[in-house]
Amino acid sequence: MAWVHRFLNGAYIFRHYPKPSASCPFLGTRFAYYCSSSLQKPEVAPGKTSCQRNSEGDLQGHHQKEVVLDITSPEEKPEVSFDKAIKDEIKDHFRRLKDDIVNHWIGPEGRPLHEVLLEQAKVVWQFRGKEDLDKWVVTSDKTIGGRSEVFLKMGKNNQSALLYGTLSSEAPKDGESGRSGYCAMISRIPRGPFERKRSYDWSQFNTLYLRVRGDGRPWMVNIRGDTDLIQRKNQMYSYFMFTRGGPYWQEVKIPFSKFFFSNQGRIRDAQYPLLLDKISSVGFTLADKVDGPFFLEIDFIGVFTDPAHTEEFAYENSPELNPRLFK
Amino acid sequence: MKPPILIIVTSTIVLGTMIVLFSSHWLMIWIGFEMNMLAIIPILMKKFNPRAMEASTKYFLTQATASMLLMLGIIINLLYSGHWTISMIPNPVASTVITIALAMKLGLSPFHFWVPEVTQGVSLSSGMILLTWQKIAPLSVLYQISPSINPNLLVTMAATSVLVGGWGGLNQTQLRKILAYSSIAHMGWMAAIMVYNPTLMILNLAIYIMMTLGTFMLFMYNLSTTTLSLSHTWNKSPLIASLILALMLSLGGLPPLSGFIPKWMIIQELTKNDMIVMPTFMAITALLNLYFYMRLMYATALTMFPSANNMKMKWQFESTKKMILLPPLIVASTMLLPLTPMLSIMD
Repeated sequence: MAWVHRFLNGAYIFRHYPKPSASCPFLGTRFAYYCSSSLQKPEVAPGKTSCQRNSEGDLQGHHQKEVVLDITSPEEKPEVSFDKAIKDEIKDHFRRLKDDIVNHWIGPEGRPLHEVLLEQAKVVWQFRGKEDLDKWVVTSDKTIGGRSEVFLKMGKNNQSALLYGTLSSEAPKDGESGRSGYCAMISRIPRGPFERKRSYDWSQFNTLYLRVRGDGRPWMVNIRGDTDLIQRKNQMYSYFMFTRGGPYWQEVKIPFSKFFFSNQGRIRDAQYPLLLDKISSVGFTLADKVDGPFFLEIDFIGVFTDPAHTEEFAYENSPELNPRLFK
Repeated sequence: MKPPILIIVTSTIVLGTMIVLFSSHWLMIWIGFEMNMLAIIPILMKKFNPRAMEASTKYFLTQATASMLLMLGIIINLLYSGHWTISMIPNPVASTVITIALAMKLGLSPFHFWVPEVTQGVSLSSGMILLTWQKIAPLSVLYQISPSINPNLLVTMAATSVLVGGWGGLNQTQLRKILAYSSIAHMGWMAAIMVYNPTLMILNLAIYIMMTLGTFMLFMYNLSTTTLSLSHTWNKSPLIASLILALMLSLGGLPPLSGFIPKWMIIQELTKNDMIVMPTFMAITALLNLYFYMRLMYATALTMFPSANNMKMKWQFESTKKMILLPPLIVASTMLLPLTPMLSIMD
């Protein structure tokens, strides 16, 4: 038994901590670390101990070095097998195809029709584990040569997701771009078997519900429809989300009738209502031209039917703005 | 759309179909198809939103490809037969290519993928024209060349269409997509009987057009595009709910309604031609169609789904929508079964 304990004590994983650079005081990052219990904590020197984590095998309360759980130790060499990976991938796709066929038989989205029709509220995305973060992609103007940085990680007690980083509106020095400064978090397009594109059908709901906690910055909520055609990739529907800052959670309800249409980043004169039967992705963008750190904590994102909201579309088309529609 | 433009576009659509129906020259038939396709694009884009434009683009690309294939088949036929007249097509390659082109225009499987997407993207009135009027021209050409068509190809397309139409419509909540899959399934039934008795295909087409027109008109009356909005009809207009019940049962092919006539006749004709497996398979897959029609019917007329207001019956105001054709369509879609013995005059 003692040998088992000794073996288990020896098999621990080392953690790494990215030390903040002196040139970039990540104030928001420090605040984020204060707010959340990240798995990434400062590496403790051998002489110092931390009583925050105990290994499972340590029955005596023996303090150990804190380690990062997502990096394997040198003793445990990960098995890299190309054939096994291919076979697993194929099996996964066929399993998803089988689930798809069974769900198709049961009803829309794999649930009975009466359940779908009677549903008045639905949580679409929630953040309770690392696998929930995999459904999102973060991007910033670093892709075009800017200096903004954005990160996404799990929040405190794995009850929320924390989007944080630094916004920099310094334009990239490529001779082309005059403006810069955005950070975004976009949901991945849902995929079925063999990576077929799927979409969300929210036609029986009329409001987007977000439970967030921000730092007072104004965000844009963007919704994209299905992107079969190339031109549709540049089209999206957006609305503003003003965060209050402060320690209290904020419940943001945005009716879908308020979303306005934009193409290639420009709000178009001719406005169309958002059609909810083929929603592809939802995203949050920060581009308020204020340099500095930011954070946004998200508990969940859902949709619901507000029976008091009867507006169909908030914007009108007028002959002055878009004469083409009134020819 | 301004009335003069609407008149020009609508008359071009009608003229295109008439040219296809009355021509015996392959080039004129092709021209009729092109006129029809180009004229319906503004009709599909009537609502002028990105989804309608996407649907129109998809429709145009599919139909243009089908027209290209049709022209290829016509040229091959010209090469081997030496004439442009629509008659027996001696060359099997030409016959196959023309059949595939017309199947693509109709939305027969495996060229059916555009039908639900396009129908969903356009308005109810445009979808109605797409699923009814646009079937007449290709089916008329298929009727004329039916003796030359490869029967195995047609039966395969028919079987897959019936299966796809039943399976695809199973868990849809969007009404236009449900009707699109219904159209695919009905086209499958028509394709199955085309080789043996083309007249029955015309009968099936006529009854299908009447039922689909009636269904679309009822949805346009309610402005319903989803099952949920249709399930609130009991609160607004209970008469419409009962009419939807009748039409759904007729679309499903249940006696004693009109929709049973084509199914009965087709199964009888197929069994007379020593085909047992095919009608059995088609009758079984028709149950899938019946399942989703009945689900729609259940949500609309047989149960009272919770609605936004608490009233049992809303105030009945006189409707401002003029649906002149609705009563005769409802009667024709539901009460024609006793006239079946008169079908012997078609022999």
